[in-house]
Amino acid sequence: MEQALQKICGSRATTDPFELAPYAHDVAYVPAILVNLLTNPLPKAVVQPISAEEISSLIKWAKQGKIPVTVRGGGSTAYFNCIPMKSGLVIDTNRLQGFSEIELDQGSQKKMVWVKAGMTWKDLDDGLRQQGCAVCSSPSSAPSATIGGWVSMGGLGIGSVPYGPIHDQIMALRGVTATGEIVELSRPDKGPARNNGSEQSGLQFNDLMGTEGTRGIITEIKLLVRDVPEKEEHLLAVFNNETDTGAMMSWLGGEHFTSLYNVHFSSPEFIMSLQKAGYAHEIPPGKYSLEIDLEGKRDEVDQAVAHIRKQVKVLGGTLLPDEVGAEEWADRFKSLRLEQTLPSLLAAEMTLPVSNFAAFYERLSKLGQKTNTLCVTYAHLVSPDMALVMVLYPSDELNLIRYIVDLSFTSNLYKLGHSLGGKPYVIGFWNTPYLGKIYDKGERERRRQRKQAADPHAMLNPGKGYNPPNIILNSHVFGLAMIMIGLFRPMVLKILKGGQGQ
Amino acid sequence: MKTIEELREKIAKTSYICGSCGSCRSVCPVYREIGWESSAPRRKIALAKEVFLKKKEKQATDQYAQRLQECTLCGKCAEICAAGIKTRELWLNLREDLRARGMEHQNLTQMALQVKTTHNISTFPNENRLDWVDDLDEVEVEVSKVGSEVAYFVGCVSSFYPMSAGISQSIVSLLDRANVHYTVLGSEEWCCGFPLLASGNSEQVLELAQHNVAKVRALGVKTLITGCASCYHTWTHEYPTILGEDLGFEVLHATQYLAGLIRTKQLELGNIDETVTYHDPCDLGRNSGIYDEPRELLQAMEGLNFVEMPHRREMADCCGGGGNLAAVDKELSQAIAVQRVREAAATGATILTSACQQCVQTLQMAARQEKLPLEVLDVTELLWRSLEE
Repeated sequence: MEQALQKICGSRATTDPFELAPYAHDVAYVPAILVNLLTNPLPKAVVQPISAEEISSLIKWAKQGKIPVTVRGGGSTAYFNCIPMKSGLVIDTNRLQGFSEIELDQGSQKKMVWVKAGMTWKDLDDGLRQQGCAVCSSPSSAPSATIGGWVSMGGLGIGSVPYGPIHDQIMALRGVTATGEIVELSRPDKGPARNNGSEQSGLQFNDLMGTEGTRGIITEIKLLVRDVPEKEEHLLAVFNNETDTGAMMSWLGGEHFTSLYNVHFSSPEFIMSLQKAGYAHEIPPGKYSLEIDLEGKRDEVDQAVAHIRKQVKVLGGTLLPDEVGAEEWADRFKSLRLEQTLPSLLAAEMTLPVSNFAAFYERLSKLGQKTNTLCVTYAHLVSPDMALVMVLYPSDELNLIRYIVDLSFTSNLYKLGHSLGGKPYVIGFWNTPYLGKIYDKGERERRRQRKQAADPHAMLNPGKGYNPPNIILNSHVFGLAMIMIGLFRPMVLKILKGGQGQ
Repeated sequence: MKTIEELREKIAKTSYICGSCGSCRSVCPVYREIGWESSAPRRKIALAKEVFLKKKEKQATDQYAQRLQECTLCGKCAEICAAGIKTRELWLNLREDLRARGMEHQNLTQMALQVKTTHNISTFPNENRLDWVDDLDEVEVEVSKVGSEVAYFVGCVSSFYPMSAGISQSIVSLLDRANVHYTVLGSEEWCCGFPLLASGNSEQVLELAQHNVAKVRALGVKTLITGCASCYHTWTHEYPTILGEDLGFEVLHATQYLAGLIRTKQLELGNIDETVTYHDPCDLGRNSGIYDEPRELLQAMEGLNFVEMPHRREMADCCGGGGNLAAVDKELSQAIAVQRVREAAATGATILTSACQQCVQTLQMAARQEKLPLEVLDVTELLWRSLEE
């Protein structure tokens, strides 16, 4: 196998067990007993192609041997999105680096670049800023998440309020189909959705958006970029309760300020955890904080700031000194510092209507109290009326029983979110039991049809995104199992009280 | 001094913090060259978690040891770490543990023996420390002169490697021009111990620290200066901790001291009609917080067109010469250096400066290998050139 792969990728192919081992992991810790029960995550080989042509050859080779192919970017997600379920070949895209000269579309007067899939969002933004441009939006994991990775996920993050999900910013993309064809697909409203060579595979533009490498492999995208804004302001407002904070978030979304770039919520528990680790001391304890980031033309930013100052006051909030907001913005990629206080965290990430944010938070607090669980929450506004909410809670990966019973709490969080219009943000492997909560029946069927058309032999990233891959992850079986395990949780927590992670 | 059990407990606790987000990957010069996840800082921490937190000793393989020693200790991973882990400290602790396990790279073991024998990193006897003075015609360098204002700690590289002699020669020439009463330690200067610290051998550094500090104290100087970024870091950050006491004199990097001389007009610089860029040495910049003075010096020269590289100051890329990497994998070290000189050349600069003898040496070799029209000099060498011209 290694010889065949080395013919294609040279020394950028390996079957060395020491090298393969990390590709069986993403950011989430899941006990080996569960992983091995449900998956076969260790790849047989990993390759690092440097071109679409190499990926094409790899896919054709894998197809001949019926070897599953899983594509991996930064490996910065938590749902096994890029982890093989059936071993096989992992295509690591990190050597697809670089971006083209900035183009100006004469019709729309919009600027865009072709960027390769393996660049991180931070590297791209840094590179663009040297030329007076910037990415429109980026994930909160921009230093690690790759271009192709975020496009393959939900695509919501910092800057999504004015620019929408990343999918709205893609004008065209290049990729490789499940049959190994190299294709270029334009945005449907900008030209034909199916271009040269794509008819045979039937791959369409939208097949590569948010589908986690299950229908094709992205190698390059044509991305809208923006000019570096004239002015930035980063305000940090604190409020006394979730109601006022939620009202402020809704107001910010509803006002449609052209310069509103990002809104980031931190719960008092999140702030407290950071403070215990020696950070965020400028924020008064017990407060709910909103980082409000404005970017754009000078007068637009100034006008928005004036309005926001008034509204913060109306809602009983306080704006902290400017440098506090600037520091929060500078540290926007450092949320994990709370692991210094809580080193073994479990999480649920979901989209939620902003109008229900306060209610969600209130019920979450009650749920936390009832189950003796510290819930640490942060959120981004990702559209005028939608927030992306992350709820984290401590566990202890050194204690298998504790960790497994704690996993059941995630389903409580999704249940709570669902009752208020929330949906799990990405699917991957571990969220397949929630497919019914994410998509309605018609959409699920349409997705399955597209998968069948694009990848009829289910060779690309099998086990993700469409159907629960085994009976245990069937929504009913899984739901029942979580309820059963959840019943033991209070007892286990009581016995282990004071253990690590409490 | 920590016991090995305390050290291992500290590693375990630190490794538990890592969320494996991978922010460290794209800034790590070693990962960028090797490419496999096993070379990324997050994977090294994940393995440390297995070995120290979960007590899976079998994971401490030769490949694990090799990856831990394939690191320049540049500290850029700490700068970007989303969990705020002091990764450089972790790497040093892990190297201490490797040594305790007998898994240290043989070249590093050899180097430790060398330092023990000659008190320097070269194969030359320590009595040859002042060979570089022989080429100075107009400057008389006084050795261990009690009552001097300043002591100049030359560092092993500038003392023994002819390629770097220009740095020490420039520094004493500048001090002489500014009428500073300085002295050097000559053969009483021992290696500061940085290469030993970097290989996890802090134990052997104690003797070196005690010797060097005693010798400088005996001179009665107010200020110790050094042109070596790693020596500077060791004197300012490590010696007070190792000795558990204040040194009793001020320690400055040569660029800090010279910037002071320029501000007080004790030293006036000449003209340089070149486009110049500056490489922040990791041990001077990110690991010691000195960014401004070298730039201040460069911009004090008339005619000099100063340009910055995209990766600078806190986010400067490593030259590849740190952390004893060249002793473990010379090709890897050189590959990293090549990336850095390419970045420097892309600015349009004709001269790449730094403020570290190791960086200058590593970058010079890379520029030569790449056949780039780029001269690599220490800031002090350029300062002296401005006066000579």
